[in-house]
Amino acid sequence: MPVTKVLTAGIGEADLRDISVYRARGGYKQWERAVRDLKPADVMEACDKSGLRGRGGAGFPTGRKWSFLPNNGKPRYMVCNCDEAEPGTFKDHMLLEETPHLVLEGILLGAYGIGCTHAYIYIRGEFKRGYQIFQKAIDDARAAGLLGKNILGTGLDIEVTAHRGAGAYICGEETGLLNSLEGKRGEPRLKPPFPAIAGLYGMPTVVNNVETLAYLVPILEKGADWFASVGTERSKGYKIVSVSGHVQKPGNYEVPIGTTVREIIEIAGGLRPGRTFAAVQPGGQSSACIFEEHLDYPYDYESMAKAGSMLGSGAFTVFDDTTDWVKAALNSVRFYAHESCGQCTPCREGGHWLERVLHRFVEGRGLRSDLEMIRRVSGTITGLNLCALGDSIEPFLKSVVNRFPEQFEARVMQELTPA
Amino acid sequence: MAEAATEMVKLTIDGVPVEVPKGTLLVEAAKKIKQEIPVYCYHTKLGPAGLCRVCLVEVEGMPKLQIGCNTPVADGMVVHTRNEKVESGRSMILELLLVNHPLDCPICDKGGECDLQDYAMAYGRGASDVADPKQSKPKGVDLGPTIVLDEERCVVCQRCVRFDDIIAGERQLVVKDRGHNDIIATSTGDPYRHNFTGNVTELCPVGALTSKTYRFKSRPWDLNRTETSCTQCAVGCRQFADVRYGTLVRTMSVENDDAISDGWLCDRGRYNIGYLGAPERLTQPLYKQNGQFVQIGWDDAFALWAKAINDARAAGKAVGALGGGRLFNEEAYLLGYVMRALGVKNLDWRTGRQLQASPGANASYEALENASSIVIAGDIAELAPVLWLRIIKAVTRKGARLVRVGACGAAPGFAHTDVTNAGEAAQAVAAEGGVAIVWDGADLALGAALAATFASRSPLAYIASEQSNARGAEAMGLLPTDGGADFTKIAADAANGAYGVLALFGANPLRNAPNAETMRGALQATPFTVVSELFMTESAQAATLVLPAKSAFEKSGTVIDIAGDLLPVNASLQAPVGALSDLEMLIGLAQQFDLALPTSEELDAAVIARAAKPLAAALGEARYATSEPLAPSSSRSIWDGGGTCAHDDRIATLRREPVKVGA
Amino acid sequence: MRKQLYNVGAILKGLSITFKFMFAKRPTIEYPSVKKQHAPRFHGLHELRRYADGKERCIGCELCSSACPANAITVIGAENTPESRKSPGERHAARYEIDELRCIFCGMCEEACPTDAIVLTPRFEMADYRRGSFIYAKDRLLVPPEAGVGTPPDERPNGIPADLGRVAEVKSTIDITAGYGATHRGEILKTQRRGLAG
Repeated sequence: MPVTKVLTAGIGEADLRDISVYRARGGYKQWERAVRDLKPADVMEACDKSGLRGRGGAGFPTGRKWSFLPNNGKPRYMVCNCDEAEPGTFKDHMLLEETPHLVLEGILLGAYGIGCTHAYIYIRGEFKRGYQIFQKAIDDARAAGLLGKNILGTGLDIEVTAHRGAGAYICGEETGLLNSLEGKRGEPRLKPPFPAIAGLYGMPTVVNNVETLAYLVPILEKGADWFASVGTERSKGYKIVSVSGHVQKPGNYEVPIGTTVREIIEIAGGLRPGRTFAAVQPGGQSSACIFEEHLDYPYDYESMAKAGSMLGSGAFTVFDDTTDWVKAALNSVRFYAHESCGQCTPCREGGHWLERVLHRFVEGRGLRSDLEMIRRVSGTITGLNLCALGDSIEPFLKSVVNRFPEQFEARVMQELTPA
Repeated sequence: MAEAATEMVKLTIDGVPVEVPKGTLLVEAAKKIKQEIPVYCYHTKLGPAGLCRVCLVEVEGMPKLQIGCNTPVADGMVVHTRNEKVESGRSMILELLLVNHPLDCPICDKGGECDLQDYAMAYGRGASDVADPKQSKPKGVDLGPTIVLDEERCVVCQRCVRFDDIIAGERQLVVKDRGHNDIIATSTGDPYRHNFTGNVTELCPVGALTSKTYRFKSRPWDLNRTETSCTQCAVGCRQFADVRYGTLVRTMSVENDDAISDGWLCDRGRYNIGYLGAPERLTQPLYKQNGQFVQIGWDDAFALWAKAINDARAAGKAVGALGGGRLFNEEAYLLGYVMRALGVKNLDWRTGRQLQASPGANASYEALENASSIVIAGDIAELAPVLWLRIIKAVTRKGARLVRVGACGAAPGFAHTDVTNAGEAAQAVAAEGGVAIVWDGADLALGAALAATFASRSPLAYIASEQSNARGAEAMGLLPTDGGADFTKIAADAANGAYGVLALFGANPLRNAPNAETMRGALQATPFTVVSELFMTESAQAATLVLPAKSAFEKSGTVIDIAGDLLPVNASLQAPVGALSDLEMLIGLAQQFDLALPTSEELDAAVIARAAKPLAAALGEARYATSEPLAPSSSRSIWDGGGTCAHDDRIATLRREPVKVGA
Repeated sequence: MRKQLYNVGAILKGLSITFKFMFAKRPTIEYPSVKKQHAPRFHGLHELRRYADGKERCIGCELCSSACPANAITVIGAENTPESRKSPGERHAARYEIDELRCIFCGMCEEACPTDAIVLTPRFEMADYRRGSFIYAKDRLLVPPEAGVGTPPDERPNGIPADLGRVAEVKSTIDITAGYGATHRGEILKTQRRGLAG
């Protein structure tokens, strides 16, 4: 079984929240090396060469994202997105609470790489414990001279601020996060301009996921080539997969990218006895389901896209044959309808409408015309939205309506005889 | 976009080649070929927001439909605004907008001029798959003294929220709650109240925000619309007056009025229309006999007046005439003409705090926006509200520096510097760029000091008049130009019994003048005083003969605004029977003396010639003064009444509450 | 002589028609003591109807006056207040006047009415001595409360039920029991929202 331990190394073995334990295991070595020996460009180059792609959901190459920052003399900001709210995803939560110094080191390396002097980490409001742990990590690192003014006597200044969110899924969207961080209503901004041009406080900003930044540490330690040697042609390195659903041992498993879907299910203990496999949602709530025919697909960005879904944030939800797909569809749509910020029409009205229709289905009061309506509305609203939230309603809904139409048709109200 | 203005981009919209400046948005580019792209959230003055998603267009080479409101043009771009893909996207958006819309068009004030109605007819599907009950939200929410909000009709385009933030700089309105529960509310829960609230009813593309004064009064297709200029203050915003069955039911701004109002109206200009039908309007000349007013006919009134003038001449007493800002240019000119023809030299318009109305050189409102420093003296936000919006624009969006000299009313909610004199102001302004001085025309010493201090920067000068057509009165020659006495001297002499007849046209010095007590004595000591007014004001009560005048909505003429533009005012209403315009009164008086009056063509030509004539006076220069300038009395808000506001109960509630100390 | 006989023939021929009608059934009736039965959809005098709970159907929307080709209808709307609730919803007709002399009884007002408030009844006797008395205001148009809801529009040929108003009531997007009764000035609070979220 190809379970690997890169970021997860040491978790459960030692108390990595203790800065002395973390340093004893080789922690902050890369940060010290970067500050003393490396130029920001070296960090950037290593990041680019490693082929690291964003682990938050979109899978955008991190090196390219950094390269979009304009050289216009304006201050730059690094924001670490720890507003992990995608249903089924719980990897950042673990990293934050179990190995905060690794995350902090990653943030510092990233900030150094793009030449920013003030980095922020936006921690989901519900992660109160994680916030406390991370705040302590910041304090400890500052006491050790690893961040703040004049880091390690080199004259470098990098400040890190931890900010707690107030609890909205949409604040995980990068511009929504920036608005929330600025103290505004957590609503996505109209793009363009993109954050790389005008982000936090109107300045060039990079928003990276916790896992993405944490991988900078092993990349610098073992070299970009080591990271690039793992994985498939265009998806490099490792990925923490949050396996949940109908498996025997749900949890976070770090695997090399390219491990097959079947293998991941087996790593997580396989299905419960007597159940048969129905579907997997490979990339969080906003991804479409993949089915038996895709079990041997490697778990990478391209193959998941080929299967009609996406790798997303690595939330791997397994469904067996006992699943009530109508309820699952309602659950998914209700989530998006509830989390819609209400700015743009398709997401605000479409999500709510679909939710009400599916609610009728669950109660057995569906109309035959509704099925066609669900397909039409969910299909048409995709692509019309201000941000990706509205576009996330369709994939799961459409994949299950198309795959299990009999479950929906069974909930259609008996035809009324005309009076 | 000024630097990009020269660079032109060529693109094709619906097969028609278009050439527009670089950076133009597709919605604006489409207007060039008269192709409409429907919008709700986008507004030319508010910019794109990307919320309603109805402005979808197809751009060749892009997989998804793009929103026209935030897509800048690019060279060689091929855009389709009416093909099948676009139509299907738009009809989906309209279907979604109508999912929870109550469809209560028959009782909606917007019905008939509603963008949602129009676009649903133009682009909608015409049928709906909605089988569930609609979401119920509060209807008829009392948002503040001016606005009623219907949450069910709201499409959350946030135009009102953005207007409040970007244009008015108030940030009172916000979107509360999330998702489909979105509602518009004030952030604090307090009533929505500032000087420009009425504009949101015009911005609202649906019937969510409607005016209380217009609520259920009419349907838009029943209205008789007249384009006129607002005469509530000296800014002179262009305005539509909508009349139904002889009642002015609402006034609306003129959207493309970039030169003057920028498309906005203040609440005073918009809502102060209740006085027109007030029962206490004067409709018959009143003559005071034994301390009691008795109603007389117009012929008798003119005869009495003429007799009084003849008696005064015979007795060797002086005759004086004071004109106010309510007079149109034609009336002010004719007042001067008739009085001079009768040998009267004691003419003045300066019956209030203000002593100067015309700066040395005209400067346009648009130029004010581009000044890098704006120096204000006086409560400009109250005196010229829509001009204040330009100042907000210049400061908050164009980076100008605002310097307030002396008492300037409530502090604005954005960056500004308060100083006490012109010298400090010179320190506070930006070192580079143009300077604009906006002065209330009251304190001549301050005006002169400002002019002297900034003379080297060749500043733009504006005088925000207290009376709406003070500038017109000054230009038309309502000044003691031929060696007559000015207002202060007239008041002082009349109080000593030197005057036989004193006529006041559209002026209420007993309320507004710093020397109101002297003036009261003057009116008592003069045997015959004539006051032309709409209402029984303080000055009218002290008069011998009170003449009922027409309001600005009931007569046509011209006025001159702060920037020196000659603006037309068109009659939109029938005056109450018995009221005459000041012009007609002067003609009536002239007939008593068989005076040859100018023909209307000559009158127009004289007005235009005088309005176009440059005024040589510099700021703070006392023109034709025959007495020392009085120290200005404390600023009296126009809202306090004395004017027409006093005759509409609702107006008093519109005023912004005083800013709480420490808030 | 022959010519005279010819004249007699012509006279008899003419008189035969007279005598024929003298003994035929009379088409004229003794109006007003006898009244003719009109067709059920005869367009006569207007009537403003009420709901079963006594509220006026008319919401003062002025659609009838805009539909009127003769410009005979004047409507001025006003707002319902909790103290004086004339109709469901927010708006009612403060003034509703029809100039029956201008009216051409085309029934467009009836077609335009969204709430089936205005109907043309078969009543037609409006004769009066003064032109001014042909301007019918609400006092004469509105069904008195004690007279029930008013005359329903007649059976339509295409299967629409007789009482269109009931259909409108059923199809209405506003909950008449909760919504109409409580829509004045935001009386519906957030907590009263229907739907799944509430």
